[in-house]
Amino acid sequence: MKVAYLAESSADRAALAILVEAILGRETEPVRHAGLEHRGWPDVRRVLPAVLKELHYHRDAEGLALVVDSNSSPPHLANHEPPNPPAAECRLCQLRGIADKALREVRPLPGRPPLKLALGLAVPTIEAWLLCGKDPHVTEAAWINGLKARQMPYSKDNLKEWLYRTTRPSLAVETEAMKAAATRLSRDLSAIESLFPHGFGALLRSLRSW
Amino acid sequence: MIESIEFRNFKALRQATLPLSRFTLIVGANGSGKSTALNAIFALGRPEKMPFWQVHSAGVADTAPVTVIAKGSEQGDGFTIKVKRKGRNWVGPDGRTAGHRRLTDRDRPMMALRSARLFSLEADAIADPAQLARWPQVPSMELAQNGANLAGVLDRLRDQNPERFEAVNEQLGRWIPEFDRILFKNPAKGLLEIALRTREGRHRIPAADLSSGTLIALALLTIAYLPEPPAIVCLEEPDHGLHPRLLRDVQDALYRLAFPEGSKETRDPVQVIATTHNPYFLDLFREHPEEIVIAEKVGLEARFSRLSDRADLDEILGDAPLSEVWYSGVLGGVPVRP
Repeated sequence: MKVAYLAESSADRAALAILVEAILGRETEPVRHAGLEHRGWPDVRRVLPAVLKELHYHRDAEGLALVVDSNSSPPHLANHEPPNPPAAECRLCQLRGIADKALREVRPLPGRPPLKLALGLAVPTIEAWLLCGKDPHVTEAAWINGLKARQMPYSKDNLKEWLYRTTRPSLAVETEAMKAAATRLSRDLSAIESLFPHGFGALLRSLRSW
Repeated sequence: MIESIEFRNFKALRQATLPLSRFTLIVGANGSGKSTALNAIFALGRPEKMPFWQVHSAGVADTAPVTVIAKGSEQGDGFTIKVKRKGRNWVGPDGRTAGHRRLTDRDRPMMALRSARLFSLEADAIADPAQLARWPQVPSMELAQNGANLAGVLDRLRDQNPERFEAVNEQLGRWIPEFDRILFKNPAKGLLEIALRTREGRHRIPAADLSSGTLIALALLTIAYLPEPPAIVCLEEPDHGLHPRLLRDVQDALYRLAFPEGSKETRDPVQVIATTHNPYFLDLFREHPEEIVIAEKVGLEARFSRLSDRADLDEILGDAPLSEVWYSGVLGGVPVRP
């Protein structure tokens, strides 16, 4: 299966690809010239329609996987899922809306099935997912409770420090650590599925429906 | 580490203090004092290279005091190093610890200032063949301000630190995948030039035929991988001529100097001070506003302020890109038209 990955860096893309393959249970094939990157929020919101149209009209991708960081925005929750209405402040809900609109606008092409889409929201960053199982305090629930209490259990810098042993990792150090962590998680997805049920769960459920 | 530099009557810096961190990125309009500050840092260690007739602020009497004072701390001990213009000459650098002990040239803060280097890289200079010393015919390890002698520095790196030379080759291949190796050639007696080998076909592309961005990338990588870099490195627009997707690599190269532990590098940290006009480059530092200094020109005077000193920064930025908020003028550091 040919899957394109849209991520904030090549390190994120590499880690995401490992997780996606683990969820799909098979290796994915690279999409021609698809080193897709965005510059974080809110840039990803603006480039997503262009990326989807490019993939639909000009590339051989069957699906697109995309993960964004929630940072300090509200996390995705179970009550944002259909049939409930999307949450206006939730980044995952916003991206779903943008993607739905863009995919509705594309012209059907003969022999071209609709592009499949899998979106995830890392709470607060992808480093949290990758620390899953290593640090029992790093969970989606801990972050959500922290947001409610206005007392965050850890910072983004903490997560970097714990994963990379520095708050300023080079791309090479980041890539190595992210790939190693994603490979570890890919052996057993049950922990990340239960500890990040909404942001990671959304990605997982979409991919399993492909 | 130098924590601040105070300027008085120094060109556009009539009365300004530049706050510094281990890594500092200065953004601001053209003529807002960024380059002046870098030149002053470079010249603090060797004031004899500062032409006295060019430095005093416009409209200020020739006899007015001109001073540059670096303040900082070294292993918990505060220090002050001052140079001042006296008549036609510069006095200093004169340094003292917080306990008033006079610093000598053998004290680390003085050595750091003396070793400071300013780079304003130019592709043509980087591509020029290096001149070898007459005898023995070895190149100097010193990269010139404009990047000249890169061939010499790389040649020495290959001979004396082959593992670092290989790391530069590897990184070059990551930054610009079209190439996989640095090659050398003596085009004439006493000259040494570099070329890059293409990954496909193994063609040799002489430096003179390489793109400006490729040459600047190679010079930046070389600086980042020097075994004994200067204690202070000032860089004018290190992002100049490079594709936006390479800017994360440029940040890595600069952080490799300033925060060696983040790159599994074992040498001492280098204090890095860089300037930029590049919004994409600025965005890479959003998580570290303490590393960003806004240079502002008010009338004839330039001023500096650390971005993190703005109490309402998080509220102002929201989830907007830092570069867009900077461009809007909300943070200052933009050209102001009457």
